[in-house]
Amino acid sequence: MNEERKDILDMLAAGKITAAEAEQLLSALERGQSRVATAVDTRAKGRPKYLRVMIDSNDDGEPVAVNIRVPLQLLRAGVKLAALIPPVAIDRANAELSRAGVPFDLGQLKPEQLEDLVEALDDLTMDIDSPDSTVRIYCE
Amino acid sequence: MIPQLVTVRVKRSAGRTIRLWIPVLPVALLLAPLVTLGVVVACVIYRVDAVRALATLWRVVAALPGTRFSLDEGRTAVLVIIR
Repeated sequence: MNEERKDILDMLAAGKITAAEAEQLLSALERGQSRVATAVDTRAKGRPKYLRVMIDSNDDGEPVAVNIRVPLQLLRAGVKLAALIPPVAIDRANAELSRAGVPFDLGQLKPEQLEDLVEALDDLTMDIDSPDSTVRIYCE
Repeated sequence: MIPQLVTVRVKRSAGRTIRLWIPVLPVALLLAPLVTLGVVVACVIYRVDAVRALATLWRVVAALPGTRFSLDEGRTAVLVIIR
């Protein structure tokens, strides 16, 4: 028996509430618990597994369609590769980034941060519409 | 679970279509010694932990199933599915 249920029955036993009020409170409690369980279940089941990239465009009058489906698991595994980049390569990449006007230190990028980024992709939806092309990026 | 089958379909403008079904396990077994050696040599050269690199590579390969790439451009089309 959970705490809230016990409290309601204690109040009934002490005469603080009537039997009808206790019944109302208990049914409200059950409704709330089932709603929480459903929400948790929906979230677990509805979690996206793939990142989809769909591009439709017209290249000199010829229709071009690109459809890519990448498992999010692959992105998660891929970010772990970042930890394997040799320090020499990071230094070179940093130097090139600085030269291109992007003063960004790749050494500061931790795999955990990249994993958080991939986790946040779950909610990503990007639509780009231009006269010649349509780009749609989303998770499913 | 590593991928089991890679399906490649290439449709050329001439109308010919090439279909390939590549079973991954035999190919992986065949190439495993070469890949392992290559990774170990590269790790020694670039001073990276070889065990960690091989583990990460394995994780990437294991995450490949479900990948799909398709490109249609006029009368040319390429489709790659990793199952």
